[in-house]
Amino acid sequence: MPKPYFLLQKKSDVYSVEINGTEDLEKTEKVDEEGMYKDLKGNKKKKKTEDLKKELDLVSDAKLTFHRGLSSARAAEILARDGPNSLTPPKATPEIVKFLKQMVGGFSILLWIGAAFSWISFGIQFAQGAESPFDNLYLGVVLALVVILTGIFAYYQEAKSTNIMASFSKMIPQQALVIRDAEKKELPADQLVVGDIVEIKGGDRIPADIRLIFTQGCKVDNSSLTGESEPQSRSCDFTHENPLETRNIAFYSTTCVEGTATGIVINTGDRTIIGRIASLASGVGNGKTPIAIEIEHFVYLVAGVAISIGVLFFIISVSMRYKILDSIIFLIGIIVANVPEGLLATVTVSLSLTAKRMAKKNCLVKNLEAVETLGSTSIICSDKTGTLTQNRMTVAHLWFDDQIYSADTSEDQTTQPFDQSSQTWTALSKIVTLCNRAEFRPGQENLPVMKRVVVGDASETALLKFAEVVLGDVMDIRARNKKVAEIPFNSTNKFQLSIHETDDRNDKRFLLVMKGAPERILERCSTIMINGKEEPLDSEKAEAFQTAYMELGGMGERVLGFCHLYLPENEFPDTYPFDTDSMNFPTSNLCFVGLLSMIDPPRSTVPDAVSKCRSAGIKVIMVTGDHPITAKAIAKSVGIISATSETVEDMAKRLNVPVERVDRRQATAAVVNGMELKDMSLQQLDEVLCNHSEIVFARTSPQQKLIIVEGCQRQGAVVAVTGDGVNDSPALKKADIGIAMGIAGSDAAKNAADMVLLDDNFASIVTGVEEGRLIFDNLKKTIAYTLTKNIAELCPFLIYIIASIPMPIGTITILFIDLGTDIIPSVALAYEKAESDIMNRRPRNKSKDRLVNEQLAVYSYLHIGIMQSVGAFVTYFTVYAEQGFLPTTLLGVRVNWESNAINDFEDSYGQEWTKYQRTYLQWTGYTAFFVSITIQQVADLIIRKTRRNSIFQQGLFRNKVIWVGIFSQIGIALILTYVLLRYWFVAVPFAILIWVYDEVRKLFIRRYPGSKLVGQEHVLLKQSLSLVILLLVESFFSILIQPLLLKRPVCAIITWARPMKG
Amino acid sequence: PSPALPRSRARSGGGERGHEGEAEDPNSEEEEETKQAMGSKTWRELAGDLKLFLWNREERTCMGRTATSWGLILLFYFVFYTCLAGMFAFCMYVMLLTLSPYTPTYRDRVSPPGVMIRPYLHGFTIAFNVSKRSTWQPYVDSMHRFLAAYDDKVQEEKNIECVAGRYFVQGGHEGEEKKACRFKRSLLQSCSGLGDPTFGYSRGQPCVLLKMNRIIGYRPGAGVPVSVDCKVQKGNESDLRSVDFYPGNGTFDLMYYPYYGKITHVNYTSPLVAMHFTDVKRNNLVPIQCSLKGEGIINDVNNDRFLGRILFTLSIGK
Repeated sequence: MPKPYFLLQKKSDVYSVEINGTEDLEKTEKVDEEGMYKDLKGNKKKKKTEDLKKELDLVSDAKLTFHRGLSSARAAEILARDGPNSLTPPKATPEIVKFLKQMVGGFSILLWIGAAFSWISFGIQFAQGAESPFDNLYLGVVLALVVILTGIFAYYQEAKSTNIMASFSKMIPQQALVIRDAEKKELPADQLVVGDIVEIKGGDRIPADIRLIFTQGCKVDNSSLTGESEPQSRSCDFTHENPLETRNIAFYSTTCVEGTATGIVINTGDRTIIGRIASLASGVGNGKTPIAIEIEHFVYLVAGVAISIGVLFFIISVSMRYKILDSIIFLIGIIVANVPEGLLATVTVSLSLTAKRMAKKNCLVKNLEAVETLGSTSIICSDKTGTLTQNRMTVAHLWFDDQIYSADTSEDQTTQPFDQSSQTWTALSKIVTLCNRAEFRPGQENLPVMKRVVVGDASETALLKFAEVVLGDVMDIRARNKKVAEIPFNSTNKFQLSIHETDDRNDKRFLLVMKGAPERILERCSTIMINGKEEPLDSEKAEAFQTAYMELGGMGERVLGFCHLYLPENEFPDTYPFDTDSMNFPTSNLCFVGLLSMIDPPRSTVPDAVSKCRSAGIKVIMVTGDHPITAKAIAKSVGIISATSETVEDMAKRLNVPVERVDRRQATAAVVNGMELKDMSLQQLDEVLCNHSEIVFARTSPQQKLIIVEGCQRQGAVVAVTGDGVNDSPALKKADIGIAMGIAGSDAAKNAADMVLLDDNFASIVTGVEEGRLIFDNLKKTIAYTLTKNIAELCPFLIYIIASIPMPIGTITILFIDLGTDIIPSVALAYEKAESDIMNRRPRNKSKDRLVNEQLAVYSYLHIGIMQSVGAFVTYFTVYAEQGFLPTTLLGVRVNWESNAINDFEDSYGQEWTKYQRTYLQWTGYTAFFVSITIQQVADLIIRKTRRNSIFQQGLFRNKVIWVGIFSQIGIALILTYVLLRYWFVAVPFAILIWVYDEVRKLFIRRYPGSKLVGQEHVLLKQSLSLVILLLVESFFSILIQPLLLKRPVCAIITWARPMKG
Repeated sequence: PSPALPRSRARSGGGERGHEGEAEDPNSEEEEETKQAMGSKTWRELAGDLKLFLWNREERTCMGRTATSWGLILLFYFVFYTCLAGMFAFCMYVMLLTLSPYTPTYRDRVSPPGVMIRPYLHGFTIAFNVSKRSTWQPYVDSMHRFLAAYDDKVQEEKNIECVAGRYFVQGGHEGEEKKACRFKRSLLQSCSGLGDPTFGYSRGQPCVLLKMNRIIGYRPGAGVPVSVDCKVQKGNESDLRSVDFYPGNGTFDLMYYPYYGKITHVNYTSPLVAMHFTDVKRNNLVPIQCSLKGEGIINDVNNDRFLGRILFTLSIGK
């Protein structure tokens, strides 16, 4: 059974690891998901030993031929067998296929049908020798252009999205130093084969998975593989059964930081650990984003409407004895009118605007659709280290004088507030300062202490910074207390010791300072310092120590004990030769001074962000490789486990009963250990996820992270996952939205993710959520706005077919609206502010809270859309009436009107018109219709600013971009229709009606919350009543305003603009 | 941490939950339901669902609504659309109030005048065989029908004799009935159909009548009568050897203008110019363009081939 390899290593002692037999490395099958599930249960440990033995054989063989290496012939053989040492890129869909997919997706297919029909009718008309067949040709070309342009746009957007293999291949080292035929050779790394002997020095990238056979001070940076930031030393010793933990293997793509090493290649190419992760990551299915699903749903809805109306009217027109060709042309018109051509581009633009806005807030969105995904996120699986925490050890608590003091752990501490007057503290601070090998890098005097770079391990760094903050110049103190001897920390002693001269000139004694594991330190002490005085360490004091130690340990903190001893001057004179090997100085009966505990503290913005998530209905799950106690402590301090909630263990402790007897359902919180997780069935995992609102997964391997993500997704949740290592990339890919860390994250993680947090800060995710929710709301508005005018574009065709009036609006004119005047306003809606606190809402329910629902469609189509149509038709009839064709004359004239032969067509006044004059008038009608839709779309735009609140609550001027939209809309329309100023005003009463009507609707919605406009009858009735009153008022208004608008003054302005013929 | 924890939790799963959990869970339960509902179904089940949707016996709902609900929703839309229709009618009414019944508000789209010919059957090709009566009789009938309104008797009865050579401007109130000038058929002389009832078609010398489109208030030619001229369009000039124009030299007399609209200018008959194609090449398609000539007349617009001119084809067979 193939098995994925993952390891998240932070501290080697606290790790629960999926231990993998080496046989996995030999296998080449691709890892499939099924395999991973099986992996949950079956953990093969048995074979491992044999395999390691095999490997050892291989190594001993190699040692024999170590100086010769492989022969070139043998290497070529193996190369032919195994293939080159490089990662196989995933089978990519050819670019042209991707491009063509864009060309047929969404509305495109409808528009292609429209274009095809146009060309067919052009062909037929051309063959028949009709007067103007080219109109249809052009229409077809325009439709095709619309499809191609939006397709190119969409393709361009997609092309920018993630290509996971790219960074893996970038990590491949270029050259490797290989011993072959007993000679050292520089070879391209992809020529390496299993069995090759390679030499590595500091700075090199490891060219393959290598078993080390000779090392000298070699350290490797495994961070890209395990997420572990500290370089790890490498030696030839076999130290651990697990190949991932043992020190004698270095992994492909990691970096050798210092030292040199020689090793034998044990795996190449896709069979390396990194190769397996890469193939696993690309094998993980990347489902559709929620917004993509919503848009698809919307496209189906609109296409359904378009096709059914189109077909219905095709049948109607055929049965009304229209020619088939004419019916087809009607069909094109209906399709074009129904399809919001510009909408998908608008959505893309809105999303990218939000993406830009988010980038400013440190959320870099790689995949545009992910912008919204974050908004619908219902579970965030967050890393602990670096995301929730500051990713640096900091002193959190002190214990001396039998008392626990808290230290400031914030990111920008400059002083420490605890009581520093005690003599014990003076002694303790001295030990902290002196018994420490960490040093600041020079030249950072102007930086704040917390930001300075330190050479030294994490704990020492924490102590150094702590001392620097409290005492000031540590290096100076150290200089004044010269070090005469030192024993560095090692795992056998578990302490660190140094001996110093003191800066007290009168005191010639040497000071011995020691720090280390508290229990080991205590063992070496016989006295304890209380309030500056040494007192014997009796059992009572030891008990107090134990309590404090347990308490600090219980907070998940790393505790260190400190003790000292002034060496008697007579025994240890100035010239005494201290020898650290023979330890010619006392290391017991020391004086215990105090404890310091350190933790990687939470970022100060995180608790607030977590509580925001909570109020936004988002469950935050912590997934960490850390020890459960540490994890729980951090979870409590950031609010992932709230102050009042308890785990089963907590309850058991409180009630003083065994864990088994606690009612588990009352525990809201759960801390799940990686070991427990491994034994859980999927159902059990589901129940844990379902029953507890506050969950911490501790000691988990990255592979388990993937299982947790899948578990959450089974609950129907939209899951966001944070991660930084290469090993996180499958989980990042699997998540609905993968969030990689910008600073700590590896390239692979960034590539697999949909979003990159530039500041690694959990709080940035929350801003992202807010933006995502806002854009979902605003897209709703955009779509409602765009859909409305479809009816006003569609009605003309329907009435044209049924009443045989001259065509009110042309297909090209419709495109002018859809792709001209309406684009900027609909993008402007993306800038709308939230109506209410969107972070106090629950995440939207994927299956219920759709982007486009019945209410939205019905309200847009049947209410506002119809009003717009009526307004536009008033304008249409006004144009014709003013030119001599009264409405009654127009009914049923279509055949004669469109006849090319009739050039003395009589109007209502007895004047006679040529065909072209009529056509010209018809175009005037198009323009007027276009103008009135535009003017009413301005009203539509204003009402769409809010969905519940009154426009006056929202503020008409808060979103400046809306006004840009309105002006652009009017501007574009003016350019297109400069001659027709007089018809701008006819539809104004209807525009006002739309506004007032919608305000009334919003009033009802606010007054009867929870009721839907359609479906709540009593609300409807009241609205009907108010509608009647409204229309009466409106009508009086029309009486006043319309004659004014239609009368001469306006006409006088436009006479100069009378179009010239010819 | 106890390893047994998750498993025992599984046993006790469901039931009452903590505060937070309560808020979280209805969601996921519903979601599961919907998932199931959306999951794969047989056609039979689908049909059952559809039937239930169309008529749910238990809840007495049709398409998800009860009778009252349907009644109210339809009532709402009825009121809504009635109001909209009312407002539409009202706006139209107000708009029509602003219009004059005698003169349209704008005449910019209809002027300058277009031109039409008679006989007019289907298109602009006059093709016939002299020897076959059936080929030209329809043209002759069309001419007679058209000229019936120009019968001398009818004209003398209804219209007055006007002073030739100047516009017949009639003042007074806009709504007063306007007098119309006589245009007698006999003015067309050999094309009047009086002497030769076949308008020359029987001899292969067809008459074609040309009329200018009516435009209210339009005074063609700015004081000089508009005349008609014909030539072969894009072809051999010699195909059309002679054309006679009646009345006069093929001019529209000024006294017939301006036109006052069909309500007040009831008996107005458009003046005509008859073109007698006395010598046209036989057995040939002869494309002819007849254009108006005069001040303010536009006859060279590419898009509009009937503006100030007309194109037609003569094809006279033996």
